[in-house]
Amino acid sequence: MKKRLMALMLCLALLAPMLLAGAGASGVTLRFIDVSPSPVRQEYFEKTFAKFQEETGIRVVYESVPWDDAANKLTILGTSNQLPDVITTWAGWLGQFTSAGWVIPLKDYIAGTEAEYTDTVTKLVWKGENELYGDTYTVPDGMMVKGVFVRKDWAAEEGIALDPAKGWTYSEYFDTVRKLTNPEKNRYGTSFRGARGAFDPLFVYLQTFTGGRAYADDGSALFNSPEAVAAYEVWNGLYLDGSAPKDAINWGFIEMVDNFTGGLTGTLINDSEVTATCIANMQDEQWMVMPMPASDVDGKIYNTINSPYAYSISANSQNPDAAWELIQFLTRPDNNIEYCKLTGLIPIKKDVGDDPFYGPDGYYATFMQQLNDPRLVVPCAFGPFSYTDMHQGMMHEEMQKYLLGQQDAQTALGYVAGELENRMKQFLADNPGSAVEQPKSLSD
Amino acid sequence: MTDRTKRGLSTTGRVLLLAVYLLLVVLPIYWMMATSFKTHTEIIDAQNLTYFPQEVTGENYDQLFSMYNYGSMLKNSVIISSSTAIVITLLSILGGYAFARYEFRGKGSMLLFFLLTQMIPGILVIIPLYVIFANAGLINTRFSLFVYYLVVNLPFCVITMRSFFERIPYTLEEAAFVDGCTRWQGLFRIILPIMFPGIVAVFVFAFIGSWNELIAGTIFISTSDMWTVPVGLKSLIGKYDVKWGVLMAGGVLALLPTAVMFAVMQRFVVEGLTAGAVKG
Amino acid sequence: MGWQIALYILLVVALFIVGLRLLRRHEKRHPQKIQFSRKLEPYLFVMPVFVLLLLAFGYPLINSVLMSLQNYKLIQPGNIYFNDFGNFKTLFADRDIGLIIRNSLIYVVASVGLQFLLGMTLALALRRKFRGRGLYQAIVFLPWAFSAFVVGLMFRWSFNGEYGVVNDLLMKLGLISEKIAWLGTPGLSLLVVILAMVWMGVPFFAIMYLAALQSIPEDVYEAADIDGCGAIRRYFAITLPYIKPTVIMTLLLRTIWVFNSFDLIVVITGGGPANHSQTLPSYMYTRAFSGYDFGLASALGVILMLALGIYAVFFLKVTRYNKAGDF
Repeated sequence: MKKRLMALMLCLALLAPMLLAGAGASGVTLRFIDVSPSPVRQEYFEKTFAKFQEETGIRVVYESVPWDDAANKLTILGTSNQLPDVITTWAGWLGQFTSAGWVIPLKDYIAGTEAEYTDTVTKLVWKGENELYGDTYTVPDGMMVKGVFVRKDWAAEEGIALDPAKGWTYSEYFDTVRKLTNPEKNRYGTSFRGARGAFDPLFVYLQTFTGGRAYADDGSALFNSPEAVAAYEVWNGLYLDGSAPKDAINWGFIEMVDNFTGGLTGTLINDSEVTATCIANMQDEQWMVMPMPASDVDGKIYNTINSPYAYSISANSQNPDAAWELIQFLTRPDNNIEYCKLTGLIPIKKDVGDDPFYGPDGYYATFMQQLNDPRLVVPCAFGPFSYTDMHQGMMHEEMQKYLLGQQDAQTALGYVAGELENRMKQFLADNPGSAVEQPKSLSD
Repeated sequence: MTDRTKRGLSTTGRVLLLAVYLLLVVLPIYWMMATSFKTHTEIIDAQNLTYFPQEVTGENYDQLFSMYNYGSMLKNSVIISSSTAIVITLLSILGGYAFARYEFRGKGSMLLFFLLTQMIPGILVIIPLYVIFANAGLINTRFSLFVYYLVVNLPFCVITMRSFFERIPYTLEEAAFVDGCTRWQGLFRIILPIMFPGIVAVFVFAFIGSWNELIAGTIFISTSDMWTVPVGLKSLIGKYDVKWGVLMAGGVLALLPTAVMFAVMQRFVVEGLTAGAVKG
Repeated sequence: MGWQIALYILLVVALFIVGLRLLRRHEKRHPQKIQFSRKLEPYLFVMPVFVLLLLAFGYPLINSVLMSLQNYKLIQPGNIYFNDFGNFKTLFADRDIGLIIRNSLIYVVASVGLQFLLGMTLALALRRKFRGRGLYQAIVFLPWAFSAFVVGLMFRWSFNGEYGVVNDLLMKLGLISEKIAWLGTPGLSLLVVILAMVWMGVPFFAIMYLAALQSIPEDVYEAADIDGCGAIRRYFAITLPYIKPTVIMTLLLRTIWVFNSFDLIVVITGGGPANHSQTLPSYMYTRAFSGYDFGLASALGVILMLALGIYAVFFLKVTRYNKAGDF
């Protein structure tokens, strides 16, 4: 009797979770994955998907994965051919996705509608993708521009004059950082990033000495010249001379932004997305945005512009046409501008009109201004090959070893440049007819 | 030294040890709780560290439920962890009993195999399992997590149950057999009641093992309504900021079920596992 | 297909019950042949567990070993071939591999050692009843109930060099005069991870040993007291032998778990700075996933398993677990 009871319990216990399992979907349904979910984004997307369903009858399921785990999850999904129809894609992943064949080209879908998109999209993003990967693979969700967030109040205290319209050079920027450092008041000049992602802003700075180019036509690296090595030392000098806390050697995004909004550091180089965090956590009189510093060599402003969560269509999607319809819907001017305002991005379609939100008095003024500045040049990316493993390891680890005094600048930069050069040359050899990427500007 | 002094010293030593340890445990927990009652501005204020909230606010807890849907996360976690713990307990009673009471061929190698399963890095198991589940249409179901937590926690629970069984002398069962009981009856009527504390302990360990797991939760689940508590809390780490207050609030609340279970369990485990009760 | 799995489970359970039934009938009819059916019983009992584990772990195990010998890069799906231990060669050629192995050893020895010592002392101290012991235990065992990720975040935040509470406390107590960059200094970053692991893991040992200690009959201690046995000798001569099986098993298991764990490291320090708090599993997690090189990741996994396997066999032999009569 007890035996039977136990067997019954066993069965029930095993089956119960299944009976309570989530319902499966049926019918024409699209899957959409968001790699940076938040209550705000989820609400927006679910609302928009409901609208979409009303208009087209296609149902969209909103899937999400926390940002920290997004890359890993997408890898697993890709390996098992389970990628959702529409993927929000960070530009840094495109190298892998295209090499592994996980996303489909979109040129045919876009054909004929290019005029609707802003120059930033056509001349910078799409041109870049075509140069790197041979085709267009994403439609940007919104544009993200980098800028320098500065503690306006501290600058006033130290008597530093900052004019966003005029801008500044890197030397002036470094100078400001040092002036803002004040150990007595427990203030540091810069939110120095030492951990993952540390090499990104440094790479842009190095390229101010090469005219925005990363490689020569044969694939050899241009950013490890003696000039660049000296620049490497100047950049890291900010950490070594105390303009950043000693801890910063291991700082990630979280610490960088937290410390700026929390009142520990005076400047922060980051994307326009951070504006929302500043608005939420600081008073208006405390902060302002300066454009990216101009090169000391040629006076141009080198700034990376990309879209954080661009839409792409997975190769294993059963309904690519429906997926494209969804992307078109999401990027329709009315939807797009609402989305961009919510998330702190710059709209991609020309039909934006003169929305004061993005006007000269708004929070995004400096970012917009950079887009319209004739001095703006978008430097080259790391390359068309996969470099995520370097991004998660070598790029910042070599820099950390330099900061710890375990090796000198030339060696540190040499390792990274050497590996990138190898991969670039390999890519050129494996793909005859391809060429090295060129820097881009809006006046091309 | 007299006996009295020795005893006095040992008691003082013990009290000191217990007090210090309590402090070390409570401090971080206090810090978590204090943070959960602070406003976000106060938390990230880098110039001013406060040990007690300047302004005690319940907004983090409020946001946890209203904005972040903590209720649904709790529900998912409870369902999955409970079913896992129940099934594991049942299976490990069987397995533990077999290992404790029998000698059979392959016993040693089977135990080694159990140990081996603990040595395999989790990711190498998750990825093939994901592919299987995907083909079976089981992704984004509680069942997928249930299966994974089951196989991952089973070896430890079987081994632990075995050691609990071993502590009960065979003479108890022999006495029962003499009286005419079968093995089954012996197991149920005599052993299990004495074993109850051990069973509770295994149940709690299995529950906690499933409750706090993060990686499989992220991989096997795709929509936010199926998130378990750890996965949901992880989503509070955004690209540019961390909702510290809400995160700490979530962490504190996630403690509660397990804390209650601990309280119940330790009463049994500590006061009940007296296997020396051989009567007559 | 979910229903097929449910049916499969029902089938296993049904077989199990039927098997037992048949056994019983066999026993009743052939009392003298009990030996055979007795022999089958244990297999029936373990079957559900064994089959489950075999299915879940068998395939990944074999697959991982195979992948470790192949050039298996996700971004080159058409280019999979056996590469003659190439993955292993790449691993050992990494400039930091010596550092990472050393970190792993320090990490495991230090954290398991500390957890064991503290857990054992705690269990011994809690053996005797005192007022409020129940409440005390309920609080002191809590760290085990936390999610590793929450603990990791908390430690990362508290040990932050600039606004972390640890530096603040230490300075207020006058123990240090300037802030320590815990997470930014090689050596210290590993220490913080060890502390977090110890904080979380002590309850595990304490609970297991407390349970084990309960089973030692009091009269043995009384006899020892009468003979004038000191506390320390009493511990080593009586207590330890009694709970030896538990000690061995918990040490073994916990070492395996700690060696394989990486979530605390990934959250608190990310392995930094410059790989000074990186261990083999965390290295595997970050490199393998970001490099999309499953061949390399599997090679690391195989190394981990080999190391742990050798350790387990060695450990069991040395502690003469077999002779203790439990294997």
